[in-house]
Amino acid sequence: LPAGLSQWFPALEVLDVSGTGLTEMGTELLSLPCLHTLLAKNNRLGGPGSLPKGLEQAPLARSLRVLNLSGNRFSEVPPALLQLRGLRSLSLGGNRLHGIPPDIQELHSLEFLYLGGNFITAIPPELAKLPSLRYLVLCDNKIQSIPPQLAQLHSLRSLSLHNNLLTYLPREILNLVHLDELSLRGNPLVVRFVRDLTYNPPSLQELAGRTIKTRNVPYAPSDLPESLVRYLSLASNCPNPKCGGVYFDSCVRQIKFVDFCGKYRLPLMHYLCSPECSSPYSSASQSSTSQSESDSEDEASVAAHRMQKVLLG
Amino acid sequence: MEQPVQTETWKARSLEELIRILHQIFAEDKVSVDEVQALMESYESNPEEWLQYAKFDQYRYTRNLVDSGNGKFNLMILCWGEGHGSSIHDHTDSHCFMKILQGNLKETLFEWPEKKGNGEMTRKSERVLRENQCAYINDSIGLHRVENISHTEPAVSLHLYSPPFDTCNTFDQRTGHKHKVTMTFYSQFGERTVC
Repeated sequence: LPAGLSQWFPALEVLDVSGTGLTEMGTELLSLPCLHTLLAKNNRLGGPGSLPKGLEQAPLARSLRVLNLSGNRFSEVPPALLQLRGLRSLSLGGNRLHGIPPDIQELHSLEFLYLGGNFITAIPPELAKLPSLRYLVLCDNKIQSIPPQLAQLHSLRSLSLHNNLLTYLPREILNLVHLDELSLRGNPLVVRFVRDLTYNPPSLQELAGRTIKTRNVPYAPSDLPESLVRYLSLASNCPNPKCGGVYFDSCVRQIKFVDFCGKYRLPLMHYLCSPECSSPYSSASQSSTSQSESDSEDEASVAAHRMQKVLLG
Repeated sequence: MEQPVQTETWKARSLEELIRILHQIFAEDKVSVDEVQALMESYESNPEEWLQYAKFDQYRYTRNLVDSGNGKFNLMILCWGEGHGSSIHDHTDSHCFMKILQGNLKETLFEWPEKKGNGEMTRKSERVLRENQCAYINDSIGLHRVENISHTEPAVSLHLYSPPFDTCNTFDQRTGHKHKVTMTFYSQFGERTVC
C-alpha cells in the first residue's frame, strides 16, 4: 500500500486493492479511521505481514465491516484478523486454509462468512458461537462431518456445504428453523439405509435412570446425591416417536433418512435408545422398506415446515 | 421452431439493439434457433448497458426481467454471487438461450432420469462458458445445472426463454426425483419486485 495513504485520504471508507499483486498490507491501514470496507482479493497475500501489526489498537479494529481476502494464499486465518471485532462480512474463499481457528468466535458481529474453495477438513464447534451468522459458505472443501453444535446458529439463513466429503449430517440440523437454503450436492451422502451396529450396552446406572424416568418414580433432591439428581435431569427423549423412552449416555448411532418436504433424502445421525427403536426390518443392504419410509414420513412432516427451500442435487 | 427459411447474420451493437432485433425475429411465424444464438453471441457485453438490471442477492442467484418480448419470449439477466448455483432443472418445453455477460458459468448436462428414478442421475457433459459465449438447451437435449464455481468473481448471464414459462421441475441428483417449482423475478425492468 502506498505510504501516506491516510494523509491523502483521511476520510477513506472503501478501499479496493484487488488484483494488484499485493504481498502485504502495512501500517498505512492503521491510520484510516473511517475505513469500513476493504477489498483485497486476488493478490499474493498469505505470508507474514499480510495484515499489519498493532491492529488491535487501531480504529480499524472497530470500524471495519467488510473484508474480502478471497483468491489469495492464506494457509491459515491470520490471528491479527480476529482482532477486527466490528467485522460483519468476511471472505477467505479460494485460499489454502486447512482449518478454521476456534477463536473465530471472537468475530462476534459476523453475519457473512465465505470459506468456500479451501482445504478445510473440519469445523470447530466454536463456529456455532457466532450469534449473528446468517450466511455460511463451506463448499468445495474436504469436510467430513458437521458438528451438531452448528444447529445453535439460530440466525442462519443459508448454509452451503456442496462438494465436501460428508457421508451424513447431524440430526440437530433440523433445528435450524430459519434456514432457507442448504446445498449438499457433491457429497458422498449415504443413499441407502445403513445401520451402525456398534452399540455399547447401557450401564446399570443408565438402566436405573431410564426406569425412574419412564415409570415416573418420584424423587426429591434430598433422596439422592446431587450428582445423581443432575444425572437424571440430563435424560434425553428417544427421537423415535413410537418409543417414548429416554436415554442418558448409551445410544445407537444410526444413519437414517429424512425426506425434507417429502422430496429427497438426507442421512442423519440419530441417537436412539436401543437398536429395537429403529424401524424393524430384516436386511439393511437391499432396498429400503415401506416401514422405514413411514418412519421417515413422521420426521419429514416435522422437518418439512422448517426447511423451506433446500438446494440438493 | 423449425429449420429456417433464411438465416440472417445479425450484429447487435448494444443491448437495446439486441432487444429490438429479437422483437423483429420473434414477430415471424418461424424462428431459427441458430439465428437467435448467433445474434445473442454477436452482442459484446457492455456493463454500462445492463448494470441497472444486475441486482445481486447475498444468498442465492437472482432473476431480473429485462423484456417480456410481447409475450413471445422472456429476456432476463441472472446474477450469480460467488459459489451460487442452480438445481438441476428442465425447461418446460421451451427454448433456453444463455449468454455470459460477465465472469464464467459452469454448465453440467444431465440425462433425463428413468420413469421410476431411483438412482444417481447420469451426467452427460460439462463445460465452462466464458464471457460473451451463448449456450442453448431445450428438454429434448436434456437437463442442466448452472453454477458460478468461482470463489472470487460474481457472474452475470443473459437468458432468453421462448415461450415464457414460470414453473419448471428441479431434480435431485442422487435419486432423480423431481419437484415442480415456481420461479419468481427478483426485479422487473430494473425495479426490485417485493413479493
